[in-house]
Amino acid sequence: MRRNPWLLLVAALLAVLALGVAGCGGDDDGDAEPAQTGEGEPAAEQVITIGWGAEPPSLDPGLATDTTSANVIANIMDPLVVLDENLEPQPHLAESWEVSEDGATVTYTLRQDGQWTNGDPVTAADFEYAWKRTLSPELAADYAYQLYGIKGAQEYNACENNCDRLADQVGVTAVDDYTLEVQLTSSQPWFVGQSAHHSFIAVHQGTVEEFGEQWTEPGNIVTNGPFQLEAWEHEASIDLVKWDEWRNADEVDLTRVNGRIIVDGTTRVQAFEAGELDVLDGGSLPPAEMPRLKELEEYEQYEYLGTYYYGFNVENVDLEQRRAMSLAVDRQTIIDNIAQADQLPGAGMTPPGIPGYDVINPESPWTPATGDIEQAQALMDQAASPKTDINLFHNNAPGHREIAVAVQDMWSELGINTTIRAQEWAQYLEFLGPPPSDQVDVYRLGWIYDYADAINGLELWTCDSGNNNTNFCNEEFDGLVEEARQTPDEDARFELYAQAEQVMFGEDGELPIMPIYHYTLTNLEDLCIKDTFNIGALNSMDLTAVTVEGECS
Amino acid sequence: MATYVIRRIIWTIPVILLVILLIFSLMKQIGGNPFRQTERAVPQAIQENLERKFNLDQPWYLQYVHYVKDVFTYDLGPSMRLRNRTVNDIVADHFPVSLKLAILAVAWGLVIGLPAGIMSALRPNSIFDYVGQFLSNVGFALPNFFVATLLIYYLAVKNDFVPTNGWPTEFWDFNDKRIILPSFALGLFFMAFVARLVRGTMLETMQQDYVRTAKAKGLRWRRVVMRHVLRNSLIPVVTAVGPLIGLVITGTFVIEFIFSIPGIGRYFVTAVGARDFSVVMGITVLAALVVILANLVVDILYGFLDPRTREARS
Repeated sequence: MRRNPWLLLVAALLAVLALGVAGCGGDDDGDAEPAQTGEGEPAAEQVITIGWGAEPPSLDPGLATDTTSANVIANIMDPLVVLDENLEPQPHLAESWEVSEDGATVTYTLRQDGQWTNGDPVTAADFEYAWKRTLSPELAADYAYQLYGIKGAQEYNACENNCDRLADQVGVTAVDDYTLEVQLTSSQPWFVGQSAHHSFIAVHQGTVEEFGEQWTEPGNIVTNGPFQLEAWEHEASIDLVKWDEWRNADEVDLTRVNGRIIVDGTTRVQAFEAGELDVLDGGSLPPAEMPRLKELEEYEQYEYLGTYYYGFNVENVDLEQRRAMSLAVDRQTIIDNIAQADQLPGAGMTPPGIPGYDVINPESPWTPATGDIEQAQALMDQAASPKTDINLFHNNAPGHREIAVAVQDMWSELGINTTIRAQEWAQYLEFLGPPPSDQVDVYRLGWIYDYADAINGLELWTCDSGNNNTNFCNEEFDGLVEEARQTPDEDARFELYAQAEQVMFGEDGELPIMPIYHYTLTNLEDLCIKDTFNIGALNSMDLTAVTVEGECS
Repeated sequence: MATYVIRRIIWTIPVILLVILLIFSLMKQIGGNPFRQTERAVPQAIQENLERKFNLDQPWYLQYVHYVKDVFTYDLGPSMRLRNRTVNDIVADHFPVSLKLAILAVAWGLVIGLPAGIMSALRPNSIFDYVGQFLSNVGFALPNFFVATLLIYYLAVKNDFVPTNGWPTEFWDFNDKRIILPSFALGLFFMAFVARLVRGTMLETMQQDYVRTAKAKGLRWRRVVMRHVLRNSLIPVVTAVGPLIGLVITGTFVIEFIFSIPGIGRYFVTAVGARDFSVVMGITVLAALVVILANLVVDILYGFLDPRTREARS
């Protein structure tokens, strides 16, 4: 029998051909080499490529709810105010504002040189239109409640028919082209700071009405900020270019910000290390790589207003046991070995960095950073009805299980047998209520602040809050929160927040939750922009401040 | 043949209706609120506004009727999560990307796997056969995300042969280095699969009486292989590869994540987690259509490869 090697040859040729065809792809390396300049000098080419961690679900300020969208919007639009590094509001498109004696009316005076990319001036009417649009029941905006502090806003948003009359009653009025008057439901000392949030950004009425839901696509969108949306390939890239007509364009160095959308954390880091990206967006770095990445010169870390906590179902776990369980947890160990980004051990709900933190910090005896196992055991022995079988629930996102296992181990020293149960996010949220399912003894959640005032975190724990999954309900606490809402004076308000923290975490505190840590943001930044690139404590990114110095790798 | 094809096409209609009903009831059972993506509670009024907007306030049978109508008029509705996009946009923008990725992966399978399998079968138990068998075992055993990560590390990070991630924007752009790694990583399974399948069926075919007869009557070996062995051995390959193309939508998502490819698999997985009903429904119906179509093509190909099926149908 003779076998012809002919077939073998053809096969081999085919294989070689396949490799050859695939391998001879064109060189599409479009990155221009930056001009050579000395250290610290602005480079001739002011172009960066940023790695976004997600596709922005919407670039409509009224509809966006996430950080990526918010950061793109903030750089292509012109907010009334921006927050400085102390989280105090600074004039931006609004050159000044005035708060009435009772604190319930805020009047913004707009700059007269604001304009839209189509040449129209930016006026107070644009804001009135945008805010009422966000509140309109037809738009059904997820974040409409950001505007609920405005008089008549909640009523209009909840309206089912004949809503025009209610729209007219919403307390936002363009008094003239450059004066915007806002009437609030009560004195809200944080309102001006809150208006830095993207939900308060104006939109161009003509464009929105012309293109409907497609108005944010490149080609349709009309913006009024330092950068313009040049191109947006969904789930792939989003490119911004400097808009030279912007009122303050002289102070913007970057001429172009290319954006690549890379959801997978490992891929994002690889792209950065291969030199394809100059900077990431502050989204989390892969936990497994943290020890290595932290040693890089390009590693950067920022304060982030948020709290990672374990909540108790107070109907299932009694007070002594809650205290014992909180005392048994060594937060510093969790931070050093699992979270790994120098997060701060959580003492109370309010994170450091919030104005008034020094007063508000409960300095709780129940949440020491490194735990206190002896006292924990003593308390556990005192518990009236100790529950030795505890169900601990978490959602199945990366990192939570590792922390739960560590906590399980720490609690085992109290004789507690912890069962860890993971759930898929959407089901998890439904399971937690409020009220939570009976099965829940302990659950994990986090809270990221919308604006820099302690009320944003404390009001979660009032009796009728939709975010209070603990069954904790304390009239004194609710009274303090309500009183704080009516107190314009900062020092007096911080004092009320401090008392509220004491109700939760003080000597006699009820401990409905045990904070684990306060978040940080971690990032990788090429040395050419590391000095000028910053992420604010509310995860905000101001690209107008960035300058490319020297050569990017 | 034509009647057969037409009958098959008409049959897709009840299948699609059933798929819609199935997904519809499963999505109703799964629970979760499509309008709550973060830990932030959604105020009652906003929840009601959203339900009204997306017709979720209607009774389930009306929602179903509504949905069936949308599918048959090809208006798959707006996404509940990506508020400025419709499912039609998403399918139009991202389905071709996944399709291209899958076709390239299958192409790797045919170009590498087919010759490797044939050679193994022609020289069973030779060193070449052993190496081929070993490699195809490895191809089966290694998960593609692992291979992908290794490839990126060595070929894109350590060396500068290819970019770490990304995908050309144009469908017909094959002249882009970025298509190599993802399609290879995804194709690894196909290569191993095809190689083993072809080897097995060829060895079996070579034992058949008609092959012995062909040899006995003095036909040249090359001709025996080409005309009798190969042709008969390819039938199972076609059977297997057709439906595998149906995996394009759901099977590519890991690779799409790792290489940051804007394909539809990513949308599908994200949409299920986010309870974005309209996107889940739209992509599932699409997937069903792809599988139905792939099977139809396979059946037609059978006719060419195997005259018996052709006769049985007419």
